[in-house]
Amino acid sequence: MAPEPNEDDGRWQEAGDHATSETIPTDAIIRGTDVVKEYETGGQIVRALKGVDFGIAPADFVAVVGPSGSGKSTLLNLLGLLDVATSGDVRLRGRDVSTFTDRERTRKRKETIGFVFQSFYLIPTLTALENVEMPRMLDRTPTKTRQRARQLLERVGLGDRLDHYPDELSGGQKQRVAIARSLINDPDIVLADEPTGNLDRDTGDRILELFDELRRDENVAVVTVTHDDYVAEAADRVVTLIDGRIRETESRRANFEEGPDP
Amino acid sequence: MAMSWLRRVTGRFPSVVIARRNISRARTRSLLAAAAIMIGVVAIGAIGAGGAAFKESQLDRIQEQGATNVYVSPGFDKEDRYFDRTDLMRIDETVGGAGIVATESRSMEYRVRSNRQRSLSVTYLDDPRRLHEVAVGEIPANWRRSAVVSSEFAAEYDLEPGDRIVLAPETDEGETAEFRAYRVTAVLAETQAFGVDQVYLPIEATGDRRYGQVRITTESVEEAEAAAAALREEFNGRKDTLIVFELTSLVRLFKSIVNGINVFLAGLGSLSLLVAGVSIANTMLMSVTKRREEIGVLRAVGYSKVDILRILLVEATLLGAIGAAIGIALALLVVLAANAIFLGSPFAFTSGSILYLVGAVAFGIGTSLVAGAYPAWRAANERPVEALRG
Repeated sequence: MAPEPNEDDGRWQEAGDHATSETIPTDAIIRGTDVVKEYETGGQIVRALKGVDFGIAPADFVAVVGPSGSGKSTLLNLLGLLDVATSGDVRLRGRDVSTFTDRERTRKRKETIGFVFQSFYLIPTLTALENVEMPRMLDRTPTKTRQRARQLLERVGLGDRLDHYPDELSGGQKQRVAIARSLINDPDIVLADEPTGNLDRDTGDRILELFDELRRDENVAVVTVTHDDYVAEAADRVVTLIDGRIRETESRRANFEEGPDP
Repeated sequence: MAMSWLRRVTGRFPSVVIARRNISRARTRSLLAAAAIMIGVVAIGAIGAGGAAFKESQLDRIQEQGATNVYVSPGFDKEDRYFDRTDLMRIDETVGGAGIVATESRSMEYRVRSNRQRSLSVTYLDDPRRLHEVAVGEIPANWRRSAVVSSEFAAEYDLEPGDRIVLAPETDEGETAEFRAYRVTAVLAETQAFGVDQVYLPIEATGDRRYGQVRITTESVEEAEAAAAALREEFNGRKDTLIVFELTSLVRLFKSIVNGINVFLAGLGSLSLLVAGVSIANTMLMSVTKRREEIGVLRAVGYSKVDILRILLVEATLLGAIGAAIGIALALLVVLAANAIFLGSPFAFTSGSILYLVGAVAFGIGTSLVAGAYPAWRAANERPVEALRG
């Protein structure tokens, strides 16, 4: 199929627009076509996503921006296999997600996706090291898990905080622990919901730098939902969601490709 | 080295590690829930096992008091309301080697002083030594006239061998009692046994050699049952010529009564476990509500519903196990004391009491498991999207 010329690189399109799925890369880890998501709240059906197309390629850094209630979190939940679309086609490595059972979805989520939250959600009774190990605690491979967790914490610069509990860490340190946790299962995509929302600017900058390093070193794609413009500026692509539709997709991939250390 | 070894062990049971951490997080709340289980376990264990010890001690006493005996009296269909020599010989033949003692009981008036009388029960028989031991004095080989009294009776009226007691057969209103003096020849030894009369007189003193009751003494409860069965078969085919009474039936009755009371009390104890179950359920519900987001994160990072369910059930069970462990330790102290009091040794555990103790622990832990089921199920089925919606 001949790719249609397009201003942006075409991975994020409003549904029904010209030039849709053909431009979504064939190597996409997860891709959606004409995805609709409806909720029922208080007897009313709310359409959170009104038909969007998306695709995440390895080592992508995508920022999803938009006013609150525009469907950002809904999109992130679909990408994270936490929720299923009402209609439309979502495929994880070519497999239709809607055919997965709850158990399969949980397993795929564990293998493919890492989560980073605005409020970190570390478990207060576990040390930094144990928090990182947490997603793999039930795997009965304690030695391997510990090795990897230690390595990840050193990678995010917390090699000297292994045995600290969350309340002994600063906000930035907590988010670093959370990022290390999101990487423990070697995911393909890390989904970050307002990762810098609770952090000051400097700390936020360092978290963003960390994301950049990680996707380069660990070959992991990062999708972040954010209100902050400066977070969006760091991304390869910025997708603007308004009222459940993609309004605008801005590509800055060149920035990244011309970066100091590809 | 030690650390990594410990890690390898705990790494095998990650749910236990996670559950233990969570329990220690809300220490007071966890302790209170465990305390509720503890009380229930103590109640069931102490009541049940203590009661079992009590039952055992009472059974021992009944055994001592002649559960090996069978008592026979004339039945409703017997023409004469007494046994004569011929009857005694038939009974003796039927029960084979067992020893038989025939007695006749009658009420008599005892003149304490010239102006004071009381009625008492007198047993006529051939030889009191076949039933009881003699403490003081002696019963002559040819015992025909003198009286033998129980130690209680002797103590009450300050009697000793050589003293005289004055007795008269009980009379109807208006008749004059014919008082007669008997010399006390012996005082019986003190005994716990049941059926000890106050005064014993030789059967010749009745004048007619008629017996109202026969006691058959055997070596064991089984022999007593066999003797009773043989008597019923021989004498009570079509007519009830004998009333056969053996203490074994009383033992059975006693056992069923005590067991009933014990089960009832232990049942009351398990009510307290029910309350404990409510407390555990409440604790777990609060805990999962507080940890809603955390459980959402667990689900997000790949814990399945079953994983969440297991972690929370382990947590509830651990709470119950802590309570049950403390509870069983306390119950054991109570049972040790009960054993010492009733059975003479603190370690004289009966199979019944061990069953109650084990049952109390099992019931305590089981209650926690059941109580934890609903909160765990609710938490496991919460959609992670909802839980994480900040």
